[in-house]
Amino acid sequence: MANGIAECSSAGARGVRLARGPLDPTAALGAVSRPTAGGNVLFVGTARAATDGLLTVRLEYEAHEPLALAVLARLQGAAIERFGLTACWIEHRLGMVEPGEASVVVAVSSPHRRAAFAASEWLMDQIKREVPIWKREHRPDGGGEWVHGGEPPDAVSRAAGGDRAAGVGS
Amino acid sequence: MTIDSQSSHSLRVTLFAGMAELAGRRQLDLPWVGGTVADLQMAVRAACPAIGPLLQRSAIAIGDRYATAGEAIAVGDDVAIIPPVSGG
Repeated sequence: MANGIAECSSAGARGVRLARGPLDPTAALGAVSRPTAGGNVLFVGTARAATDGLLTVRLEYEAHEPLALAVLARLQGAAIERFGLTACWIEHRLGMVEPGEASVVVAVSSPHRRAAFAASEWLMDQIKREVPIWKREHRPDGGGEWVHGGEPPDAVSRAAGGDRAAGVGS
Repeated sequence: MTIDSQSSHSLRVTLFAGMAELAGRRQLDLPWVGGTVADLQMAVRAACPAIGPLLQRSAIAIGDRYATAGEAIAVGDDVAIIPPVSGG
């Protein structure tokens, strides 16, 4: 990958980030804070120590970075428009993540709380279906597997909005 | 990604995650003179049968966007196969 060794990459759009080091939820919440926004929602997804009864000693994430950043930027813009958000910040961790550490952070702000709650849930659903990021669950015995359980991502994005599946930026 | 080492009749296809693991490599260099996304899927399946079942459930990316089903792919395009995602 072109920028696979980058410490951190962003799509030009402010507030969309892939990071190889720890995420900073507090900074994300601060980044969307505005005097005009009375509802602020911060979602932090953390690596879980077990899935379906199988122990996970760590998660490993990899991404098609240029496409992931383009899709994240599109989702950020779509969420702002759809829910009338004041601001929106999305970041996802790449590389090895220990149980309890944050793997994804979504922070949104809006004038009132309902739009912020709805937007954060919608964004997480979209991120988990459309953004080309994959996790590998590492097992205590040294084995592990990449998770590919869902639908093909473009089928979802086409159903969700036709040519909006096209990336933006870079 | 540079394509300096590629011939004018080949296409480099990038694989990720479980697909790279199944194939045992991160890149496939396919003989290519041009064709559609469907042609690419056939060529990938022929070159690497092990990834066939996952390929059926995958999207194709060109650069930083998802390709549409009938879209043309040219030599030199930055092509990747995107299996079902699992971020979050």
